[in-house]
Amino acid sequence: KGITTAAVCVYPARVCDAVKALKAAGCSIPVAAVATGFPAGQTHLKTRLEEIRLAVEDGATEIDVVINRTLVLTGQWEALYDEIRQFRKACGEAHLKTILATGELGPLTNVYKASLIAMMAGSDFIKTSTGKETVNATFPVAIVMLRAIRDFFWKTGNKVGFKPAGGIRTAKDSLAWLSLIKEELGDEWLTPELFRIGASSLLSDIERQIYHHVTGRYAAYHDLPMS
Amino acid sequence: MAATGVGSRARDIFTALEYGPVPESHACALAWLDTHNRLLGHYVGGEWLKPEHRNAVSCRDPITGENLANCLQAQGEDVAAAVEAARTAFKAWSQLPGATRARYLTQLAKVILMHQRLLWTLESLVTGRAVREVRDGDVPLAQQLLQYHAVQAHAQEKALAGWEPRGVIGLILSPPFSFLDMMWRVCPALAMGCTVVALVPPASPTPLLLAQLAGELSPVPGILNVMCGPALLGPALASEPGVQKVAFCGAVEEGQALRRTLAGKGAELGLALGTESLLLLTDSADVDSAVEGIVDAAWSDRSPGGLRLLIQESVWDETVQRIQARMGRLRSGRGLDGAVDMGARGATAQDLAQHYVHEAQSQGGQVFQAGDVPSDSPFFSPTLVFGLPPAAPCAQAEVPWPVVMASPFRTAKEALALANGMPRGGSASVWSERLGQALELGYGLRVGTVWINAHGLRDPVVPTGGCKESGSSWHGGQDGLYEYLQPSGTPARLPFLCESLNYDTFGLVVPSTVPSGPETGPRTPSHLTLCSPAPPYGLFIGGRFQPPGGRSSRPIQDSSGNLHYVAEGGVKDIRGAVEAAHQAAPGWGMQSPRARASLLWALAAALQRRDTALASRLERHGSEPKAAKAEVEVSVRRLQMWGTQLQDQGHTLQVAGLRGPVLRLREPLGVLAVVCPDEWPLLAFVSLLAPALAHGNAVVLVPSGTCPLLALEICQDVATLFPAGLVNVVTGDQDHLTRCLALHQDIQALWYFGSAQGSQFVEWASAGNLKPVWVNRGFPRAWDEEAEGAGSELSLHAARTKALWLPMGD
Repeated sequence: KGITTAAVCVYPARVCDAVKALKAAGCSIPVAAVATGFPAGQTHLKTRLEEIRLAVEDGATEIDVVINRTLVLTGQWEALYDEIRQFRKACGEAHLKTILATGELGPLTNVYKASLIAMMAGSDFIKTSTGKETVNATFPVAIVMLRAIRDFFWKTGNKVGFKPAGGIRTAKDSLAWLSLIKEELGDEWLTPELFRIGASSLLSDIERQIYHHVTGRYAAYHDLPMS
Repeated sequence: MAATGVGSRARDIFTALEYGPVPESHACALAWLDTHNRLLGHYVGGEWLKPEHRNAVSCRDPITGENLANCLQAQGEDVAAAVEAARTAFKAWSQLPGATRARYLTQLAKVILMHQRLLWTLESLVTGRAVREVRDGDVPLAQQLLQYHAVQAHAQEKALAGWEPRGVIGLILSPPFSFLDMMWRVCPALAMGCTVVALVPPASPTPLLLAQLAGELSPVPGILNVMCGPALLGPALASEPGVQKVAFCGAVEEGQALRRTLAGKGAELGLALGTESLLLLTDSADVDSAVEGIVDAAWSDRSPGGLRLLIQESVWDETVQRIQARMGRLRSGRGLDGAVDMGARGATAQDLAQHYVHEAQSQGGQVFQAGDVPSDSPFFSPTLVFGLPPAAPCAQAEVPWPVVMASPFRTAKEALALANGMPRGGSASVWSERLGQALELGYGLRVGTVWINAHGLRDPVVPTGGCKESGSSWHGGQDGLYEYLQPSGTPARLPFLCESLNYDTFGLVVPSTVPSGPETGPRTPSHLTLCSPAPPYGLFIGGRFQPPGGRSSRPIQDSSGNLHYVAEGGVKDIRGAVEAAHQAAPGWGMQSPRARASLLWALAAALQRRDTALASRLERHGSEPKAAKAEVEVSVRRLQMWGTQLQDQGHTLQVAGLRGPVLRLREPLGVLAVVCPDEWPLLAFVSLLAPALAHGNAVVLVPSGTCPLLALEICQDVATLFPAGLVNVVTGDQDHLTRCLALHQDIQALWYFGSAQGSQFVEWASAGNLKPVWVNRGFPRAWDEEAEGAGSELSLHAARTKALWLPMGD
């Protein structure tokens, strides 16, 4: 059994292409689509919901949505809950990953509240950031979100997944994240169903580390295929 | 084939996702031990000494039991030789300019930086502590300590003018204390110009390594001498003539024993006792963060001791659940493994913990241990004890490593009562997201260090110490420097031991007095108009003059032959006075400095109004008219001076790597007892009373034995100005009253200015509650001189420091 990524994440417009390409390659990796006005989420609710439906129609089995930051910053928690509920319904069978954009939420207390609301509204994953904010996945934010996941699990018995995104570029970073999950949530969360790293540039560093492990030499980037 | 083997192994790793071993190579530690042929002697006078016919204790790896090296044990003559080397070195070292000592300390910091791997692997190998803590915590801190104290040495001539190094410092470390505890004390001592003889536990190579590194660099051989030796040798080092100060780190009972042994031996004693810490978790705390605080405090190999945990009842269940879940993830293992939380600490520590756990179980406590560790393994599981009845001996006893003893409380007030009800007062942390509550608890705790929403932070800038049975010595910051300084011109401390002094009978019985005639006033009738009538008869307790419990009096004769009777105070009167003082102490301590100042000024004004009466009374006790007048004037000035100094009570420290301030507070001691000298009956009384009051203490004073009337005169003004019970004056037989005060367990500090025997007794008796004592060893003091009568020495003795850490962040 080969080692693959957990999903391929694309903009909604490219879902069709991605599904086709993966099918052609004979690969069963799910296609995820960022939706709801990624990355800012500053579009009409109706448009955002429609975006989800279209992506699901195109064959995306996972949807990454961005929450409305205004609702968090002004403390409209119920409205936030209602919005994510509607996303959830629009997703249908597809997995819902909720991006909190923690770099723009203010204090950690807001991060905790937003995490819990996202989980209560039915998210399958909560995700730190879009990767497009200036502050992305940091350890303090991650710890708050992980503890929210644990609290939610202790209260309801539901396991919600966690996905840090943005700024994770080296194999060493990814190990730090793995041990963070192991310490805070335990081994049962260390599966692709519950833990993912959103990182577009991590792959080449992992390949370089493997290259070093096998050959004993450090690779130049041109020694490896571009990713 | 080989490829598939690797492939399946890789898959196993991905499936199991277990931690792999992260062994730290200890080859360099073994290589260093090899350079000594695995036999470590004493590092004295800048060279290794390996005297013959000494016992050798083997230093073993606490996990494998493998013998790593043998350490020669010091004997009495080795200690004497080391003290001699330190004395010789002191002559040169203390004369070097501060800048030179600063350069030396900076160089040593660099050497530690260069050889840190040797340092941390050796320490972790020998002690079994997790290498992560030693490498990332202790070694960088040791280096910061050297750098901080280099700066202090550089600034010494200017910033600490009027103070000089004490001389040879004897440092005694007991087993749970590490090389870092040695550095906390060696750095300020060396920086200030003292030299050190350190006696470390029987098998501890790391302090020896440090001594070697420090010695090879030193311009003067013998500034730091280190020897391994049995605990029994401690008193021998402490009593060695020439040792000016003894710093002791160890258990409370050992400290008490040393205090008794050292009474009258001359050396000053600084105690840092016990290893337990306290954590107070309120219902507004971030419980998960607090649980990490508990791990830092007890299960991370950072602290040498255990933890007493107070949890608010409303969050008890939730907290215990989270602690237990966290405990399940702690990893015990070989200290040299980089991914291990807790190492093993050898058989002694394990036995201590095992004993406590057994006792706790037999007293009704429940024990939760995470992980299944076989009984013959060198590891001891992290342990949580709860459900102990509050009166169980284990609920009072010191909690050993790696045990956490949890008990509930209902209100913040109750938490304070429980925490302050402990005989120890080392360090504590408060966990609350409500700032007001956290500060109130932080200020209310009677301990040396309080962390708000953090635990175990350390920094060279911040003074660390304690109160009550934890001992009242300090390390770090300015307070740590004063431990190794004395006012310039202080004579060398020589033994003032009186071998024949019987502690059981000293001052036990008051010599009976019989009436020796009627009271007489001044003979010259023309003076009568100037003299006030004799002050009211009685002991001044609780704001009024009361008849003594013993209902008897003692005659006082002045130099012109006039006879007076003053009340003969006794043990019951002292008891009453201390009780009255405790009533007044909290209110006075909470008064603003301005309010305290205005009352001191009012007392000064009252004294001024009485000046002729006071002067004439001094004259009748044999003072020259001019001197009498001057004594009254200086007394008035003293009161005013302490009134103006009041604003300077504490300040903020800035610590590297911490967002937020650390407050250095100067808090009142509580009830301070003062035995005044016979000489300077007015000035000495006022010079001692004023700083004590200025720093917020309530006082019980025994005035001059030969002339107590002046103190009683002042009491008439005290009665109208000050809250009742704040100042209490008990006249009587000085030895007897000293005995009562020194043996009183609820007096927080005692100043004694009397005979050598009295000083010796006070030192001996203070071992009971380890109250800080300040004695004159029978030497007179120049109360009329600014330095001795009003210097910062008084200020240092009149209050205790507390460091309050206030990290910030949202």
